[in-house]
Amino acid sequence: MSVNQLLPFFSTAIMLVFTVYVLQRYFVRRAPYFLFWGIGLAMFGVGSFAEAYLSLTWNKWVFFAWYLFGAALNAGWIGHGTLYLLTRKKWVHGVTALLILGSLYAGYLMLQAMPKLDEAVFTPKKLISEQYGTKVLEPGETPPAGAQTQTTTYRGEQVTAVRGILPLGTSVRLTTPFFNIYGLLTLVGGAIWSAYLFWRKRVLPNRVIGNVLIAAGALSIGFASTLTRLGYGQLLYIGELIAAVLMFAGFLTAARPQPTEEPQPVKVALAVK
Amino acid sequence: MDEANRQERMSALRQKSHIPQQSMFFEKIVPLLLIVMGIIMAGLVLFAAGVLLGIVRF
Repeated sequence: MSVNQLLPFFSTAIMLVFTVYVLQRYFVRRAPYFLFWGIGLAMFGVGSFAEAYLSLTWNKWVFFAWYLFGAALNAGWIGHGTLYLLTRKKWVHGVTALLILGSLYAGYLMLQAMPKLDEAVFTPKKLISEQYGTKVLEPGETPPAGAQTQTTTYRGEQVTAVRGILPLGTSVRLTTPFFNIYGLLTLVGGAIWSAYLFWRKRVLPNRVIGNVLIAAGALSIGFASTLTRLGYGQLLYIGELIAAVLMFAGFLTAARPQPTEEPQPVKVALAVK
Repeated sequence: MDEANRQERMSALRQKSHIPQQSMFFEKIVPLLLIVMGIIMAGLVLFAAGVLLGIVRF
């Protein structure tokens, strides 16, 4: 087993502690942002665990969990928690309904893809992020060494493609950009915005630093996911580990109680408007 | 004496909950980081939009 294949085990452990930490806060304070963060972080952890599992052996339902929770949904759910934190407007409930319906629809599409999975392509020797998708080769492009290719008709054209577990044109793959765009804008944008507000007011430096760390962590996984789409899936696991470490460190830093002039109940939150 | 101590303690606490004056980190590095991260975020969003619109093939 390579070092790269070991990384998801560490990510899973960090995300487990992080998720429990956040959900404990939800059960104490009942704030919806803790709930959405907790669910999103749990999805991240499930994705990492699935990667760890798939580095040992194949299971199609673990692959289902990896793609749905790890690749598609988690960023959107974590980011939605940040939206709840930053705005208390009623329209956020409408977005919540859309997020839930969209997630159910993505789950339905993933279920539809399950009988079509090309399981014969799977090998535990390669990272799942390097073998999940079927990729059309451009004219003149040579396939990577050891890759299995197929010639097939796709969108009315005869194409040569590197075989992957999810066949060409799998609809569920089109849902991931929606969740990832939403997650990036709300999670990274929200953290940058919060950091800026504290920085501008010249208060709570711990929350400035915490939000910078959270944004950097979220960008790390966003960047690694983008590279995975481009065919550089070997960087995904290190991107996830960096994201897990930075986001947890950011959360702990931002949530650290600050000394105040007047005695008052300890107020702990990731950020406030 | 007690009052002087109290005021000194309050002053120290106030400094801890405020961004330090003339800090290179908070004056230069933090704003730069926020701008750079905003640009990277915009780039990643554009890429994902490109996938959705079929401009980026996968």
